[in-house]
Amino acid sequence: MANVSVAAEWQLLYNRYYRKPELYPMRWKHVDLARNKIAAAPFGGPLAVIRDDSKIVQLHGESALRKLRLFSSSGHLLADTVWRNPGGRLIGMSWTDDHTLVCVVQDGTVYRYDVHARLIEPNLSLGKECFESNVADCAFWGNGVVCITESNQLFCIADFKNPNAVKLADPGIVEPPRCMAVIEPQYTVSGNVEVLLGVGDGGEEEDAAVIAVEEDGVQRLGGEMLRGPLQKMVVSRDGKWLASFTHDGRLLVTTSDLTGVIIERECESALPPEQLAWCGMDAVLLYWDDMLLMMGPDGEPVTYLYDEPIILIPECDGVRILSNASMEFLQRVPDSTVSIFTIGSTSPAALLYDALDHFDRRSAKADENLRLIRSSLPEAVEACVDAAGHEFDVSRQRTLLRAASYGQAFCSNFHRDRIQEMCKILRVLNAVRSFEIGIPLSIQQYKLLTPSVLIDRLINAHQHLLALRISEYLGMNQEVVIMHWACAKITASLAIPDATLLEILLDKLKVCKGISYAAVAAHADKNGRRKLAALLVEHEPRSSKQVPLLLSIGEEDTALMKATECGDTDLVYLVLFHIWQKRQPLEFFGTIQARQLARDLFITYARCYKHEFLKDFFLSTGQLQDVAFLLWKESWELEKNPMASKGSPLHGPRIKLIEKAQNLFAETKEHTFESKAAEEHAKLLRLQHELEVTTKQAIFVDSSISDTIRTCIVLGNHRAALKVKTEFKVSEKRWYWLKVFALATIKDWAALEKFSKEKKPPIGYRPFVEACIEADEKGEAIKYIPKLADPREKAESYARIGMAKEAADAAAQSKDGELLGRLKLTFAQNAAASSIFDTLRDRLSFQGAS
Amino acid sequence: MAQIPNLDNAPVNLTSIREQSQKELINILKNVRGKKCLVIDPKLGDSLSLTIQTSILKEQGVELRHLSAEPIQSDCNKVIFLVRSQLNLMRFICSNVHDDISKGLQREYHVYFVPRRTVACEKVLEDEKLHHMITIGEYPLYMVAMDEDVLSFELDLSYKECQVDGDASSLWHIAKAIHKLEFSFGVIPHVRAKGKASVRIADILNRMEAEEPINSSDMAVPEINTVILLDREVDMVTPLCSQLTYEGLIDEFLHINNGSVEIDASVLGLQQEGKKTKVPLNSSDKLFKEIRDLNFEVVVQILRQKATSMKQDYTDMTTTTQSVSELKDFVKKLNSLPEMTRHINLAQHLSTFTSKPSFLGQLDMEHTIIESQSYDICFEYIEELIHKQEPLTTVLRLLVLFSITNAGLPKKHFDYFRRELLHSYGFEHIATLNNLEKAGLFKKQESKSNWLTIKRTLQLVVEDTDTANPNDIAYVFSGYAPLSIRLIQHAIRSGWRPVEEVLKLLPGPHLETRRGGFSNSPSFDTFYGVSNSIDKVPDGRRSLVLVVFVGGVTFAEISALRFLSAQAFSVVSSWQLLTEQNLKGPKKTWHMI
Repeated sequence: MANVSVAAEWQLLYNRYYRKPELYPMRWKHVDLARNKIAAAPFGGPLAVIRDDSKIVQLHGESALRKLRLFSSSGHLLADTVWRNPGGRLIGMSWTDDHTLVCVVQDGTVYRYDVHARLIEPNLSLGKECFESNVADCAFWGNGVVCITESNQLFCIADFKNPNAVKLADPGIVEPPRCMAVIEPQYTVSGNVEVLLGVGDGGEEEDAAVIAVEEDGVQRLGGEMLRGPLQKMVVSRDGKWLASFTHDGRLLVTTSDLTGVIIERECESALPPEQLAWCGMDAVLLYWDDMLLMMGPDGEPVTYLYDEPIILIPECDGVRILSNASMEFLQRVPDSTVSIFTIGSTSPAALLYDALDHFDRRSAKADENLRLIRSSLPEAVEACVDAAGHEFDVSRQRTLLRAASYGQAFCSNFHRDRIQEMCKILRVLNAVRSFEIGIPLSIQQYKLLTPSVLIDRLINAHQHLLALRISEYLGMNQEVVIMHWACAKITASLAIPDATLLEILLDKLKVCKGISYAAVAAHADKNGRRKLAALLVEHEPRSSKQVPLLLSIGEEDTALMKATECGDTDLVYLVLFHIWQKRQPLEFFGTIQARQLARDLFITYARCYKHEFLKDFFLSTGQLQDVAFLLWKESWELEKNPMASKGSPLHGPRIKLIEKAQNLFAETKEHTFESKAAEEHAKLLRLQHELEVTTKQAIFVDSSISDTIRTCIVLGNHRAALKVKTEFKVSEKRWYWLKVFALATIKDWAALEKFSKEKKPPIGYRPFVEACIEADEKGEAIKYIPKLADPREKAESYARIGMAKEAADAAAQSKDGELLGRLKLTFAQNAAASSIFDTLRDRLSFQGAS
Repeated sequence: MAQIPNLDNAPVNLTSIREQSQKELINILKNVRGKKCLVIDPKLGDSLSLTIQTSILKEQGVELRHLSAEPIQSDCNKVIFLVRSQLNLMRFICSNVHDDISKGLQREYHVYFVPRRTVACEKVLEDEKLHHMITIGEYPLYMVAMDEDVLSFELDLSYKECQVDGDASSLWHIAKAIHKLEFSFGVIPHVRAKGKASVRIADILNRMEAEEPINSSDMAVPEINTVILLDREVDMVTPLCSQLTYEGLIDEFLHINNGSVEIDASVLGLQQEGKKTKVPLNSSDKLFKEIRDLNFEVVVQILRQKATSMKQDYTDMTTTTQSVSELKDFVKKLNSLPEMTRHINLAQHLSTFTSKPSFLGQLDMEHTIIESQSYDICFEYIEELIHKQEPLTTVLRLLVLFSITNAGLPKKHFDYFRRELLHSYGFEHIATLNNLEKAGLFKKQESKSNWLTIKRTLQLVVEDTDTANPNDIAYVFSGYAPLSIRLIQHAIRSGWRPVEEVLKLLPGPHLETRRGGFSNSPSFDTFYGVSNSIDKVPDGRRSLVLVVFVGGVTFAEISALRFLSAQAFSVVSSWQLLTEQNLKGPKKTWHMI
């Protein structure tokens, strides 16, 4: 019954069944394969059709201009365009992995089209030599092409994504080869493409060979084994095997390095087949006019007859056969399907399938069948699931899955997700196989292609809705789809006003959290919709993406604002440098002056590397004091300069700089102090310079005023010291400290004493005491301690030079208990001294109490 | 290099963070094959010494050099510059490469920026036309674990950059670092911030969370419950006071650099004259862990007790018969002998400084200024310091403290001090003064000071502090409770609400928010002082508080935090620039502006 009809469509080749279900009746009209050149992409990809200019054909009321038409695998017209490309005859045409149609013409130009028949600029070229000597033939693989010129030289573009034409080694042949094939780079030892050329005359056996050409070498393969030249070659998908047709009508399957013959079969024709193709890995198809022959490793070949021209499209698990009217898929029947549908099969899977049939008809035999296969029920279920996966017919898929789920109900240990998974896959496959979409993927192809590539292809073909549904259904990230959609929408909606379009876009973009609004905005900008871009980028949450884009669409001020807001100073710098480069200095200054962070960062950078420019900035914004500080700083750098050795005339420019700074400070009221300081600094430098001249000692410049005074006194030049004092209005207080310490430094105790007696020191005698104690001159210190006014100071001073009794007396005078305690600690080591303090403190506290 | 601190007892898994940093660095080195010269900027070298052993670097075929203006001497033809992304360092790289070019040396250059590449630095290389010769990469080292409870962002210039230059780069850096922590330990639900920079960091942090959300469903309960951000600007008083804890004093006098101190070998009683030796100071040293946070007075007593008890044990040992287990105990004690000798020597060395009258006078003055009662005495004391030309740092510390507590000085005094300073120390210090003024540290009085109110309300001066058995954080400064830590104490106990009035008197806004994975919206509800008992986490663990000082922290403050944490909760504190040394550090650089 139903089962019978399934297996009846199969053909047996050796010990394997093959089937050839029709995928689609072609929807196209008036397409005659015989008149056209066809390029079909694998994995159920699109078809490119163009009138073959190497044949003479009759025009049926059509334009003489050729049209390039792109169809889906179901014959649905996707796009078309008029072929106006110069460069001579179209030599070869093929689809790359990412569905770009590449067309090689005679002069070596390569034209590329996308699936919407839009020419992709720029056109590529295979090089000057090809241009000069014409391309004769070419061979394609995934993303590359090899062509041979009429002068038998080979050129190759290994990857269209990175299109550089490379010349391969000279094969050294005079006659054009009879046939050509390529082994993809991924399967060769060198990792570069290998070209096989079948050469040799019909008669001369010893001449016949296969020449393997690579980028850097030529090898002659085959030789004797071939017994004559090859007419046609084709390499298997995995690059391991080579199927070829010899001049004397044999089909030869060898390893691809031609070291061993695997199969050798006589064909009835010595005429080479028009097309030669691998069907999966275990059969080879030969097509002559109206006859398709399938050869296996053994047994009778299968013959199919066609009364119209066909094109063989190899897939990983079979061959698609395209004719004017239909698209068929020739494949080996999968094992699971065989086990279920072979006539008279008693395999568990077949019985399970049968049981479902009985069950549906409410027959008790269902139960009987199940009992029979109880032990092997899981395998049976598995086989049904697997077979369902391989079916193109939806109702049969359903029946098989129902059988599987019927069986599953009776076996507890079956992996339950399997059926669910298969349903998911089939839903996706059925969706893309529909006429409208026209991608007839088999399950094996689908798995090899991967869902994400499938989605890429769908969005590339502008099937966004389906792509979105599929990615949602499979739980994949929808960002790619929505992003592509948004970009395509922008490109296609030139007539829609910005605000409306923005709303449409936002409505969809919000579906996807974390989508890059910046990327969509960038696309809008590329399409000349700057306003829309600005509106879109507003929605980008990531400042690091938003800011650069704002810059590229010329929204510098918004960019600066956003960068400042987000707090990432690196972005602020990015904007800063951008504006800096783009605008006139004054305009630039104005922009950053208004933005504090930007301004401060600019100043920081400029301080390090653009000193002069910074001055301009300060001048333009009226920050004269900052210019003054810069100048002043410069003057110190002159000091560090080794050329500015002490006493040299280089002091001139230094002083000038400082005076300039002084004048600038004087411009504003708030900086009177700085102005005065600068004036004093300049004066000091002059004075120090003079001192160096008079004393002939280079020790003055760049010391402070106080240091200068000290140095003078140490040198015994009291007049000079006094001069500095009056010149800079040094206070009496400071003067005393300085002079006392300076005299102590040179241990001029006599002078010190004399100084103490000049008049009553304005800050008392403490400096004298301290200087003496620090110089460890107790004798000198004692002279001044009694003169100290504060008894506490007196006590402490005595303590410091170790005079416990005197210290105690003075402390007692001050009536300070805390002080006594502290002094006691100081004298802790000295028991006698310690007891003195104890007595005193007791007395003191007693006094305090009374 | 200093010993890498042991992080096993850290409240959160800091080891994993450090291991990540190690791995990243090794990968960078592995990416450049063969022998190579690793040129590190010296400050970064210090950070790395806390992250990875030199021996591991050597295993990668690395010759280690420090970056300076001097051309590097090396035979390697591959050079990796590992530098912080600071503008002034670019000059050194350029001069190095130019030097090679002039000598005709052909080398392969790699520049790795820490923690990330920046447009400004690359612009410098571009302007020097070296961009094409250099491979540029990043080494995302945002923080370094200084100790088991201290992290550092290694931003030693951030205070100066923020306050003087207005360069807010470090704020982004800190936010990024916290965000990285959140990736490991979960979104921190409570944020409390005080100060302009801190509030800004909280804001940037929220932006980062919106841009790059942390998947909070992965983590059940966030490990860190609260983050408290505090601007250094809020409390500039504390870092100006002399720290009186053991660790603080070591830092005051000997300068702790990245967890170790360098001293003359003779101090430790070693026989090598004039040789320097490095003493690691972290919690791996058990004795140090015990005494680091104590007031120095107490440390001396404790060390003395320990020494005495050991001596007693020794006498017992020699005079009476002992059981084997007692012997074992004794030997165990002996093991700690080297540590004890080391710290006794160190303490001895410190006391030579602490007993100086000048130091005592300075302490006295600090307290007088904080008391803010006797303006004239303070004025005259500082004036005298200047006249005596005491070290500028000492003078400026007191002067700034004086200015801050008085909200600036009257114009007449302000100008007078400035003039005296310039006269005594040289006119080049005008830049320092200008910077101090810009940062608001030493300025003209414009409004009335509210220091007295702050001091009183927050009880910053505590009479009768018992340094041996402290019951308040004031012990770290012998009577002054650091303002910063007092604020944190309030923030932890009850949030900002009860101290709102005082907060308004301190510079910058404050903020209290709750964020988190519970509501999915990136927006966060701001609430002020809703009663929240953050001490109690549902599952009974002690809640963890991350305290971030924006602009640096002193050892004494960390000690005070540890004191607090022993009372109620655990604390991880983060710091970036520390103590007087760093305060001076920035000042030193101010000279160069």
